[in-house]
Amino acid sequence: MTQTTSNSREGLQFFGRISASVSHEIKNVFAVINESAGLIEDFTLMADRGMPIQPDRLKSAANSIQGQVRRGDTIIKNMNAFAHSTDEAVRELDLVEALDLTVALTTRIADMKQIRLTSGDCQAVSLVTNPFDLTRLLHSSIVAALDCMQAGDTLVIGLKSVSGGASFSLSAPGKDAPLKNDESFSPLAQAMNASVTVDEDTGTSELRVLAATGSK
Amino acid sequence: MKVLLVDDEVELVSAMAERLEFRGVDADWTDNGEAALEMASRTDYAVAVLDMKMPRLSGLDLMERLSSQHPDMKFIFLSGHGSEADFKAGCAAGCNYLIKPIQIDDLIARINQVAG
Repeated sequence: MTQTTSNSREGLQFFGRISASVSHEIKNVFAVINESAGLIEDFTLMADRGMPIQPDRLKSAANSIQGQVRRGDTIIKNMNAFAHSTDEAVRELDLVEALDLTVALTTRIADMKQIRLTSGDCQAVSLVTNPFDLTRLLHSSIVAALDCMQAGDTLVIGLKSVSGGASFSLSAPGKDAPLKNDESFSPLAQAMNASVTVDEDTGTSELRVLAATGSK
Repeated sequence: MKVLLVDDEVELVSAMAERLEFRGVDADWTDNGEAALEMASRTDYAVAVLDMKMPRLSGLDLMERLSSQHPDMKFIFLSGHGSEADFKAGCAAGCNYLIKPIQIDDLIARINQVAG
């Protein structure tokens, strides 16, 4: 059996949700660039009227534009990688890269909840899996964890190799385990041979994912 | 006339405030709703320009809080296209909004319009 669980409305909705979030972020990038460029234009108009130009102010506005171009470039690069996750039903995937991409795509949601989202200790692990479904599974588990957390918390996600697959750990330092179960994404978890366990002693939730069975 | 700008993009809102000042509009700014409430308790703002999507307090939530404490305050919303649906769902008819990125002259025209 090949894992292709996202040929469904849920998969399309996930793609739409991420695309909407990314496009919103790009709008903000353009908005900042627009105001910084407008500020530079204002400085030059004032110079035409005899006011001296302050080089520091020009430099600050130019730096802002350059910073936003870098920010926009990273956003587009992540969106491009996400779009290409649909290229193949199953392939061998670098899970550190997959986790970093999912964290990047989910950071805006965490920001809106004022929760810091970060990758923790990650072993180099590769897994034969459906790239799009894995991104969706990781995103869903992170969102479920965020829903149980408070503003000011930090969610740390780690990665290690386990027999036949990989284990993603979710923890919030100083807090209870953030992900209690897979209730909000159980059909996808079941389809991907994934399961959630909770270790209350260490305050760690574990999302274990097994390799896809069958061939491409 | 004093104007309050609230947007979690600091570089955006600070540049907007400066550009408004160049055009004779007295504008204060902050990047969060809680600070906006505190500023409005100390200063009489005629118009508040609010980003729709902000952490913790959304633009609509902030408008409700501000308008209950300052009934005469007028509001303009800044929206990315992704939040238009939220805006239309949550905002009563007659709300003023501009879609990012904005033109500063459009914002000034809208400020003057709502301030009457």
